[in-house]
Amino acid sequence: MTNYHPSIEMLTDYAAGSLPLAHSLCVSTHLEHCHECQQQIRKLEMLGSHLFDQTPVEERQLSSLKDSFFDTLMKQPKVETHVKQSHIEKNTPHWDEYKIPSSLRQFITKSYDDLTWMRLSPSFKIATLYNEDGGAQIALTRVKAGAHMPTHTHTGDEITLVLEGAFSDESGVYRQGDFINRDASHKHKPIVTKDAECICLTVLDAPIEFTGWFTRLLNPIIRRYHPHSHA
Amino acid sequence: MERATQLQSDEQRIDDMFAIAEHRDQAALARLFDHYVPKVRAFCLAKQPGANLMADDIAQEVMIRIWNKAHTYKQESASLNTWVFTLARNARIDYLRKNSRHQSNIDPEYLWQNVVDENADPFKDAQQKKDQERIQQGLDKLPADQKQVLAKVYLEGKTHKEAAEELSLPLGTIKSRVRLALHKLTIYVKR
Repeated sequence: MTNYHPSIEMLTDYAAGSLPLAHSLCVSTHLEHCHECQQQIRKLEMLGSHLFDQTPVEERQLSSLKDSFFDTLMKQPKVETHVKQSHIEKNTPHWDEYKIPSSLRQFITKSYDDLTWMRLSPSFKIATLYNEDGGAQIALTRVKAGAHMPTHTHTGDEITLVLEGAFSDESGVYRQGDFINRDASHKHKPIVTKDAECICLTVLDAPIEFTGWFTRLLNPIIRRYHPHSHA
Repeated sequence: MERATQLQSDEQRIDDMFAIAEHRDQAALARLFDHYVPKVRAFCLAKQPGANLMADDIAQEVMIRIWNKAHTYKQESASLNTWVFTLARNARIDYLRKNSRHQSNIDPEYLWQNVVDENADPFKDAQQKKDQERIQQGLDKLPADQKQVLAKVYLEGKTHKEAAEELSLPLGTIKSRVRLALHKLTIYVKR
């Protein structure tokens, strides 16, 4: 049961297909844990279908389009319809492994351990999943049980989604599936709960800035790994 | 009367879906083509007026997906219109992703696949129809300004922020219009 959800605006943009892909990735991962938001998406898609159905159509001859469509259709190779599904089923995790959300399987084929993790402190690691060209940085952070994450502010929006474990900050405790959206004005100091390590999906519109006196030294490193800084 | 004929043709289209899934019926596909292609084209042109080639490409892609995925369509989880809308939405996202200046490697195919509600519920079909009716009737009664914003977000593919800029209105106004509309349609319940 998750307690922190995407805003209704974000869910609407997601259902409509207007939300940027990096943000949609977070919403999609949240939905895998949240029945309540799934229901809302179902209704938002119904709304979309009514608007879609009511769009005024222009009078236009479509017979040549239709001919060329049926030509293409006849030429397409026989489709293997069950490929993706069986691929997913084969990846059912062993009992002691973390389950990778389906939304992330395009980046993580086997396990979190196989990613290239960059150690930023003895208890804090980061693995970049994808840097969008001129867009967001999508990464996983992995913090040891009971450890502090370095104090940081954001230079842009940050979405954090808890994949495993839990952490807390001044405003609350966040558990698996929780969706946390912070803007540039936030300065926070998260602590991971003592019982287990914490893995989060993070999407940054711009690199985070560490504000602690020591961790400030990390800023050039973080910036180097963010697509915006190559400009 | 008009409603009755509409229901009848909705049923005809569901039969067509089964005919495609079970015996690859091309005549059934041709009927769905006539019904949905103009809608998908209009949906694409709303996003990029005048982009007829793009509209043709996406419409064809949607029809190919209908043909290839007909067997995965489940009447109890979504109405056919909703299913086709999600196909059109995803095909449009995919097209724009591959053809835009900033290409993204995030594959949308993975991002909307799990939204199907798997919970077995004998009342789901009835609930589904009730929600459907409520949304349709509510939509007809919405004030023009609220409907306009919904159209921007859904049909033109604008985010709330972009809709605000385009209508030269504060983001707060856009948000509250959408919230009001969703509230009336009983989609949005404050947590």
